[in-house]
Amino acid sequence: MLNNIIKAYNEAVFETDSEAAFSVVNQALADGITAEDIVFQVVIPAVEEMMSRITKDPDTNLAQHFMTAQIAASVTEKMLEKFQHPPEIIGRVVIGTASGDLHSLGKRIVMGCLKALMVDVTDLGVNVPAERFVDEAVAFDAQVIAVSAMMVHTATGPKGAMRVRELLRERGLEDRIRIVVGGAPYRFDEQLYKTVGADAWAADGVSAGKVIINLIREVRPS
Amino acid sequence: MTPLEILVAAVSGSPAPRIPVFCNLLDQGAHELGLHQKDYFASGERVAEGQLRMRARYGYDNVWSLFYVGKEAELLGSREILFDDDGSPNVADFAIKSWDDIAKLEVPEDITAHPAWAETGRCLKILKDEVGATHPLCAYLTASSTLPALLMGMDKWMELLLTGPTDLRDELLKKCSEFYQKEAAAYRAAGANVLVYSTPFGSTSMVGKKRFQEFSLPWMRRDLAPGGVGGIVYYCGMAPFNNVIEQVMDELNIGVYYISPMADLAEAKALIGGRGLTCGVIDDIKLIHWTPEDTRAEVKRLCEIGMVGQHFLFGTGVMPLAVPEANIRAMLEAAFEYGRYA
Repeated sequence: MLNNIIKAYNEAVFETDSEAAFSVVNQALADGITAEDIVFQVVIPAVEEMMSRITKDPDTNLAQHFMTAQIAASVTEKMLEKFQHPPEIIGRVVIGTASGDLHSLGKRIVMGCLKALMVDVTDLGVNVPAERFVDEAVAFDAQVIAVSAMMVHTATGPKGAMRVRELLRERGLEDRIRIVVGGAPYRFDEQLYKTVGADAWAADGVSAGKVIINLIREVRPS
Repeated sequence: MTPLEILVAAVSGSPAPRIPVFCNLLDQGAHELGLHQKDYFASGERVAEGQLRMRARYGYDNVWSLFYVGKEAELLGSREILFDDDGSPNVADFAIKSWDDIAKLEVPEDITAHPAWAETGRCLKILKDEVGATHPLCAYLTASSTLPALLMGMDKWMELLLTGPTDLRDELLKKCSEFYQKEAAAYRAAGANVLVYSTPFGSTSMVGKKRFQEFSLPWMRRDLAPGGVGGIVYYCGMAPFNNVIEQVMDELNIGVYYISPMADLAEAKALIGGRGLTCGVIDDIKLIHWTPEDTRAEVKRLCEIGMVGQHFLFGTGVMPLAVPEANIRAMLEAAFEYGRYA
């Protein structure tokens, strides 16, 4: 039965049909599937399946990424209320858009996926000063700072990820905190993340989940 | 031949000494005039002067009436733009903050009478008077399916588009389409003859093929119907769209295609052939770090692919301020050199 649920849920997500996805989940609950199984056997594998599809199939699109994240986050949030025991959190992330950048779509996709993947994520909003990224990461005991930038000057300028790197260095935090970047400019130049001092980059918001989890594990081995 | 005549020849496939060479140096105008962006973009005279100076310095073919993309949001009620001397301005105040605001959104009866148009109008008049007879005058217009992103933010627009009520979505799109139609008419009347139609939802990188057919295409058809496709350039915000070129050509009859640097230019050229103008676009993010030699090699590659069978234009993307002047010069010199027809 679980296989049919997974298949139906995946189809709904790939068709960007949130109503159908919730219908599958509700039916699964009614059939006695636990909330834990829905999250760990259905939702998280669906996010991972989308990551895999993005790699293999250039025809996946932003609408699918957005809905994958939104549906996953929303279902997970509802299922967590029904969990017998709180799930183990993989790690903590602070996320925001770089100073001067007000584009929030990519950040929202990343956050949705991270929530479903059991990563605790704090949204710092848009136009976030580098100092705040670092202050909040320390306050939140985050392993990763995620800096989203849709414009070239916010991706590569001195007030964005580059400044975050300087601050981590100045405060002796480089061993504890990793920097990940994402956004359109990085897609056009895959080496760009290195020039801004990031540890990694993600080509899309869904794949960012995997990249971030890898970074968390670098500084917080499980 | 004048640059305008060279462009017309490229579109029609008539003989010309070289390909048209387009370049988008927008934010660079403020630096050229030694002004902060906010001061520069506050004046149509200054923007026109910036455009004319950049064109005179580098010798490319076109000038732009575009200040920044958020200008369209200002015409529809946005009251704040975030200026940054390092790069392009952002919309900081969304005209639509909640779905309730959609009903209140007003498309100006006469766009040219709106205060936010005044400086654009001044800029256009100067450009038209100075170089309009000889050089292509470009305008930037956002398609109805994308304009909501400037009015409410892309994530909120995606949410409404994908999960919201269809009637509310369509109410917003009708207003955006009406705005596009009025804006296109205003630009044409003011002398713009190259209308870059920015339609990211016209790429299947944004939405799947099914939604492209059922959503993007009909709204593009509606946008373009009254004014026609004369001078329209199909541009998907640097996203690839090779897989829909044939359908767009067949159904919308658009003649000019601005190909993403991420797309296969040879494939695009084969699809468009002699039925339209293929624009080969350099990856100007990589241009930030390339050497002048790398830059020349890439321009050569694009020209060698695109010039076969004529109907080809060389162009740039967003041209960030971070692109070194040496690479701008190398790029344009190479475009004029490799863009010559024997």
